[in-house]
Amino acid sequence: MLNIQDLLLELDGWPLRYDLQVQAGEIVAIQGISGVGKTTLLNLIAGYLTPDSGTIAWNQHVLNDLSVEQRPVSMLFQDHNLFEHISVLENLCLGFKTTASIQVPIQSIKNAAAYLGVDEHLNKKPATLSGGQRQRIALIRTLLRPEAIVLLDEPFAELDPVTREKAALWTRDQAKTAGKTVLLVTHQEEDVARVADRKVILT
Amino acid sequence: MRLHWLAYSFVLGLTVLSFYGLISFGNESLDTSLLQDSYFYSILGFTLKQALISAVLSVGLAIPIARALYFLPHLPYKKLFLAFCLLCFVTPTLIVITGLVALLGRSGFLTPWLNTLSDNHWNIYGMSGILIAHVFMNMPLAVRIIYLELQSIPETSWKLASQLKLNKADCFRIVEWPTLRNTSILLLCFIFVLCFNSFAVVLALGGGPQSTTLEVAIYQALKYDFNIPEALTLAWTQLIVAGGLYWLISRFGSLSWKNVDSSRNVWRPKKGTISIQASKVMYGLAWIILLLPFVSLIPGLLDSKLSRPDIQAISRAAAVSIGLAIIAATLAMSIAYALLHPIRQAAMGAKLKRLWLLESVATHTLISPAMVLSVGLYIFLLPRIDIEQWGIVFVILLNTALVIPFAVKKLKPRLLQFDQQYNRLARSLKLNRRTLWRIEWPFIKEIYLATFGLVLVLALGDVAIFSIFGTTEWTTLPWLIYGYASSYRIAEASAASFILLILCALFLFLLEKLVHKKLALRPLMNQKLTDEKQHKEGDTHA
Repeated sequence: MLNIQDLLLELDGWPLRYDLQVQAGEIVAIQGISGVGKTTLLNLIAGYLTPDSGTIAWNQHVLNDLSVEQRPVSMLFQDHNLFEHISVLENLCLGFKTTASIQVPIQSIKNAAAYLGVDEHLNKKPATLSGGQRQRIALIRTLLRPEAIVLLDEPFAELDPVTREKAALWTRDQAKTAGKTVLLVTHQEEDVARVADRKVILT
Repeated sequence: MRLHWLAYSFVLGLTVLSFYGLISFGNESLDTSLLQDSYFYSILGFTLKQALISAVLSVGLAIPIARALYFLPHLPYKKLFLAFCLLCFVTPTLIVITGLVALLGRSGFLTPWLNTLSDNHWNIYGMSGILIAHVFMNMPLAVRIIYLELQSIPETSWKLASQLKLNKADCFRIVEWPTLRNTSILLLCFIFVLCFNSFAVVLALGGGPQSTTLEVAIYQALKYDFNIPEALTLAWTQLIVAGGLYWLISRFGSLSWKNVDSSRNVWRPKKGTISIQASKVMYGLAWIILLLPFVSLIPGLLDSKLSRPDIQAISRAAAVSIGLAIIAATLAMSIAYALLHPIRQAAMGAKLKRLWLLESVATHTLISPAMVLSVGLYIFLLPRIDIEQWGIVFVILLNTALVIPFAVKKLKPRLLQFDQQYNRLARSLKLNRRTLWRIEWPFIKEIYLATFGLVLVLALGDVAIFSIFGTTEWTTLPWLIYGYASSYRIAEASAASFILLILCALFLFLLEKLVHKKLALRPLMNQKLTDEKQHKEGDTHA
């Protein structure tokens, strides 16, 4: 379980407080008006921000003192998810700890790319793709990485309605199959309905 | 100890040892009586005067040329001109001096004409020669940087200005000047510091005690009089003035060392016919002025009947110079990368004071006079090691230290850009050092190799350090040219200068060409896609 308890962060003079429990394997949509601290919450969990007080625990292990690299988190940012100067496929293969016996799940990547309609672009540079294509590619890597907690910051913002539905259903399917715990920031009710088990509104 | 702290120890250690060498020698102290001597003030005055006039002329002439380049985007050979500007800035000083002497010296090609104009009073030796050489080397740098700044003016500003029907003066005041102002001031300070620390130009074209700068006076005090207290006083004066100015530069911003992209197609207001013609004439004149000293080497080269020993001496000196420069440049690039590690950390953590401090330490050799560093270290090492045997090692190490600031300044923006864009992502993906380097390398490769070429050429031109630590066994090409020129063997000096020039141009442009081949990235994944068509498509966007 992801347990966020009495978390406090003062940002630009404004105190932000969080109290949230998410069961392992649960998908929770985070909503709230702009500036309420949705992205800040994800950054706190991922370790990019340090809280002034309170704890973030995963399966009873406190994460507060762990660096970004040590936390069991895979995060999709609102932008800058891809290295522009290397190919899409090279981007997709990053973030997997490989050993002699463990390889990058290249087939899963290709299957996902084909399902989401970006398989034609695997050898291109991200700069040549549209915003929606880039977002789907980043989404594939974020979901397929072997991390227990997945944080998605407006993952479908740049997608057209048809692709949006497809990507949302794929996200839920992947997360449930792999038993991932997902926090999803979105403004759209349809995303909540398609992907999330429940929603939390920050005030 | 981590590698980057070792790099800081190296750059700081060299300076500390140099000053320790000067201070501790025979318990000598500063010669404060020198501060009451008119000799001191005449040297200081001349140093300041020549640096100030050189800086003002360089920037003043650069502005109209850069504007001509900016407003006439289709000028022929513009990209070549900008590349040539870089070559002029980094060309070893002795090439420029030899070229200028062949052009404007006692039997120079233009001297009869200049004598007619000046009623037989023309003399390249003294203030006029120093200024011409300084402007020749620094004005092209100013052209490049100002042109780059002009390119950063948003298209929308020009469109708005034209929509508001602003006249030329208002256009300049409202659109161009805000961009040019800071850069011009920074350039003035930067060129002032470079000319303030100038050694070879003043040594070769100074022509006597009337035209001596602090750097040359330090050299003379040590090399001829072995007057340590005087040298120390002069060295501290130089360091305080140059350091103060450098402090000002770093407080108010930094010059952009980005590469020039001359192909950007931005909408600009159309100039009138007269203005276009004037710009074209200025561009043509700039080409001629910059080419003349180099072209004037050719007759000497053709006339020179090099003897076999001369050919052997030049070939050997060229080989030594290339070898030394490659080692110094490789070391400088590695150390600069290591020095930038904590600077990047400080930038990411928004620790501005720490950032400034680290950068000041990393680039402080820009203001530490090469002569002071060399002589101090020489005195420190003299009782400790056999300099005759090990001197060449210190030629390399000091050259490395002196080109590090250029490497740091050029690499920093690209690495900070990488961090700004990708640090969060790289951390999120938990990339190890090796993978991170494999991602980072293609991102910085272009700048890295171009910078390598730049620092290599800078190291190739060293005279000051070699004059202290060098031995005849390891004579470098610039030192050989200096030898020829001081014994009035201008034909041999021209031939050797021409070879050095070709080497510089080759290194500078070969590396840039190599970069533009856009070598395919090493695949990061274990499994490659075999579709050749897709491969080609991917490579075109490197």
